Amino acid sequence: MSGVSARLDGRGIVHEAGLRVDGGEFAALVGPNGCGKSTLMRTIYRALRPSAGLVTVDGDDVHRLPWRESARRTAVVAQETPAELDFTVGEVVLMGRTPYRRVPAADEERCARALDRVGLSGARERVYATLSGGEKQRALVARALVQETRLLLLDEPTSHLDVRHQLEILHLVRELGAELGMATLAVLHDLNQAAAFCDRLYVMSAGRIVAGGPPDRVLTPELISRVYGVRAVHRTQLVFERLGGGP
Amino acid sequence: MTAATTPAQAPGRRRARYLALVAGLAVAVLASTWLAVSIGAVHVALPQAWGIVADRLAPGLFPRTWTPVQEQIVWEFRLPRALLALLVGAGLAVVGAVLQALVRNPLADPFLLGVSSGASFGAVLVLILGAGALGGLSLSGAAFAGSLLALGLVYALAQRAGRITPSRLVLAGVALAYLFQALYSFVLQQAQSGRAAQQVLFWLMGSLGGARWHMLPLPAAVLGAGLAYLLTRHRPLNALAAGEESAVSLGVNVPRLRVTLFVLTSLLVGVLVATSGAIAFVGLIAPHAARLLVGADHGRVLPVTALLGAAFLQLVDVAARTVSAPQELALSIVTALFGVPFFLWLLRRRSAERAVSVA
Repeated sequence: MSGVSARLDGRGIVHEAGLRVDGGEFAALVGPNGCGKSTLMRTIYRALRPSAGLVTVDGDDVHRLPWRESARRTAVVAQETPAELDFTVGEVVLMGRTPYRRVPAADEERCARALDRVGLSGARERVYATLSGGEKQRALVARALVQETRLLLLDEPTSHLDVRHQLEILHLVRELGAELGMATLAVLHDLNQAAAFCDRLYVMSAGRIVAGGPPDRVLTPELISRVYGVRAVHRTQLVFERLGGGP
Repeated sequence: MTAATTPAQAPGRRRARYLALVAGLAVAVLASTWLAVSIGAVHVALPQAWGIVADRLAPGLFPRTWTPVQEQIVWEFRLPRALLALLVGAGLAVVGAVLQALVRNPLADPFLLGVSSGASFGAVLVLILGAGALGGLSLSGAAFAGSLLALGLVYALAQRAGRITPSRLVLAGVALAYLFQALYSFVLQQAQSGRAAQQVLFWLMGSLGGARWHMLPLPAAVLGAGLAYLLTRHRPLNALAAGEESAVSLGVNVPRLRVTLFVLTSLLVGVLVATSGAIAFVGLIAPHAARLLVGADHGRVLPVTALLGAAFLQLVDVAARTVSAPQELALSIVTALFGVPFFLWLLRRRSAERAVSVA
């Protein structure tokens, strides 16, 4: 995407933002609260029309594509969750096939494979609302998988999870992206996590992308102090590593 | 889950259960209709009621064991009334299911969103002031205009910068429902003739007493077309029920779908209110009962909701005619007797769920 600006309630939230993510790559978008990360994401999955600039996926302006076609290219795992009605996990996952013609047997097969892949193979008939936070996010990742897109967007996928489940979901998504050659763009809060997981890091501040590139080059103490107003110190600290085994 | 099932088996078994349920409900609809045609001030035995209807459809097939009076009562009054009960029950139930998905609030129904009140307001204007008052609009036309106006206003009030939160929508709906009720009460108070006002009041509480054959085609056509359209859109409806932004990211043209659903539900409510008055609670109870039976998927919820609503209103109408015969009860009185306890149970159940999920 390039030169994207977006307005909400008449206020400019995002100004001429530009970033790119390639296939198989995991990119993270970080920045202080209210800097416009989610707004920027919303312009990519068409919840918001940018007031200027271009969002392209596979070379086409997504805002000019038919709705179904843009949904075949970009999937989203957001925080908003279908909790009011009692959909089963299988029904939630099959929603990922909404932009495609329905082929019951094949769709069922895709659903089973996706649930298996995210480690929820026994949960097909469970009610989504009764899942734990980590399971809900994995179910939404399964939904994104059956959507078979080139780009996966994650809007704070780990915000309600404990540290173990945060690592689980990030590992899962990174593996899937690499496996399927899918481009992944995630809004993350935790700078350490972002630095550890992503191939490319974008930092946003006051509606602008202020830095982008490999995390070790981007996350300098000067930048962090400028953007977040905190001092970054290098020190030995506890690092959480996922133990072996399934997700 | 009690029984271990492989993923491949489960959908097949669910499908068989679903088909059995639909067949059972279809039988219930037929049976309740048969009962409705037979019961009343002039008793017509069940076989005779069947014979009268069958004789009209295929003359000469059955020996005539009934009197001409019985035939007239069944064919001219009870059958059209029973069929209208099915249409209205199914229609209100489907509207309830769609609105609940649309505003993502399981408590939504045509009443809560002010749609019924808007339709009633339009209808009262025509009934009291005559068709001339609204530029020659018919009763259905005025009821439709009223419901569209109400839904449009609710929608406009509930949105800020193109985004709608369900809670704002429900609050706006409740407020407008009161406004429209005040408006038509005002018109009623100002009405010259006390008798006309009395009639309107009875009609507002819901009654199928005026049913005749000529009143059936319009609601039948609107319901049939509406239901057929909704069934082709059940996947976008599911996506919408899961959240607006999710629906967008799943390729649903949300603004267009929303407008279509608003117009469709207004049209249905308008047509139904014009024929039978405002009948409460059907649109709330039937979708919930359907979801308890088949889950949240609209491909199943919609047909089951329609059948449940039809059978329910048929039985309600039978009760309304017989409980204090020869006087007829307004339908909303009877539906409220079932509906209010159900509503309270639903609230308790939901708050209990919330408490658990917080704990």
